[in-house]
Amino acid sequence: MEVNAGVFKQAIFDLLDTLYEKESANIDAAAQLISDSIQQGGVVHVFGSGHSVGLGIDIKNRVGSLVPIHIMETNDFVKSGAVTLAEFKDKTNVFERRADVADRLYNLYDIKPQDVFIVISNSGINGVVIDIANLAKTNGHKVIICTCMNHTNAESSRHPSGKKLYEFGDVVIDNCGPHGDALLPTDGVAKVCSVSSICNNAIAQSMAAKIIENLQQANYPLPVLTGEPDHDQALIESYKGRA
Amino acid sequence: MDIKKQYFDGLKSHIEHAYDTQLETIKAMAKLFADTAINGGVVQLFGINHGEEFVNELNFRAGGLAPFHGIKLVDLVLNGVCGGTVIDNGEVLQSDAYLDKLLDLYKLDPRDCYVIVSEKGVEPLVTAFAKKVKAHGHKLVGVVNKKTYERLSGCLDDKLGNYCDLMLDLCAEDPDVALHLGDTPIGQYGSTIGNVMAQMITAEGYAYYRSLGKEAPVLLSANVKGADKHNDSLTDPYEGRVR
Repeated sequence: MEVNAGVFKQAIFDLLDTLYEKESANIDAAAQLISDSIQQGGVVHVFGSGHSVGLGIDIKNRVGSLVPIHIMETNDFVKSGAVTLAEFKDKTNVFERRADVADRLYNLYDIKPQDVFIVISNSGINGVVIDIANLAKTNGHKVIICTCMNHTNAESSRHPSGKKLYEFGDVVIDNCGPHGDALLPTDGVAKVCSVSSICNNAIAQSMAAKIIENLQQANYPLPVLTGEPDHDQALIESYKGRA
Repeated sequence: MDIKKQYFDGLKSHIEHAYDTQLETIKAMAKLFADTAINGGVVQLFGINHGEEFVNELNFRAGGLAPFHGIKLVDLVLNGVCGGTVIDNGEVLQSDAYLDKLLDLYKLDPRDCYVIVSEKGVEPLVTAFAKKVKAHGHKLVGVVNKKTYERLSGCLDDKLGNYCDLMLDLCAEDPDVALHLGDTPIGQYGSTIGNVMAQMITAEGYAYYRSLGKEAPVLLSANVKGADKHNDSLTDPYEGRVR
């Protein structure tokens, strides 16, 4: 099988076309939940394990970014002193696969009733992400799931409940990637070139654009960084401690 | 037109431009990374701000290649070298005060090559890091947003490009804004273009290994049965240099 940059470009273009056509309505539904939340003073809490955290990073802290976005990071356990670095990096008990740490992470943050959650996991089978989604649902929040249905349907849950992440979503967005995340077949067993980060960014960025359009149509002041220092500083201050 | 569709179409257009203008650099990076690995070295990745997305896209990725290693500012906080505010307020970027303390956290090797990702390419920490890398005789790749870099670096003596063997352009606008709704900037393309080019580097790297008649060190998704054993077999020989 031919593998090169041009082959990948065509493959990712085809996948982005599929993603838009298949998931446009789900992205709209997620954008509506978030627009409603922001208009009630809400914040979006974004949690993703491993590389999935990139979805939150990509839509935050730049000109053109929404401000009421808060990233929940497992790093925060170490930063807050709740977990040692050695425990966090223990290869014999991989952190993101544990089923008992979500409560402690959830309680690190200032979470209000009107807040919405986005939980991202390509596999959607690991402990922490499922527990965070479950906690958010149990506490009455709307939950948006971003996952890879091809992957999650092919693997068993590692959570004690046997459930998978998508089962906790008010809205589920499929990143449309392949099982195992790598897209291009090779002349060996393994495929190469993962796509989840690219697809997740496209989902998040297009969703953010739709949220801003919704807010503008509702005549709500747009909480968007513009590069104008006084405006941006005041906006950041208005969400201080929350986002 | 649906604003999400505008985002997807704009993204594809920018990726096309990146492919047309950066392909030779992508191939050269792939060759450099593979040659480094074949000679026992590791590709050391360092990115600031949203440049960390490019680092994450190459570092220990499903369908990606070994051996890469991420040098991360957050490690200063996790290892108790400094508080989080030093990172969050950008103080760490304004001098070389933390450079040696950061590098002391890792097992670096004379055979390693380096990638430094900075949209602007002019921050004092970035240029000090690049200068140090070259002074020790390593190959160095700079990744910048060329339009921003040229605007900011034109009148400066010290800039990332002074020290680089290769320069990759993220091919975003300056500022990196994807769309406008009236006067409001919306979203960005640069990080996603960077992620796509990172995967193109992986594809070209795989092709280069095969052209040499060698097996490419392809990592599997950690969420596939049996992947941990396979991935450990690729990274354990580096004895803590890559994970």
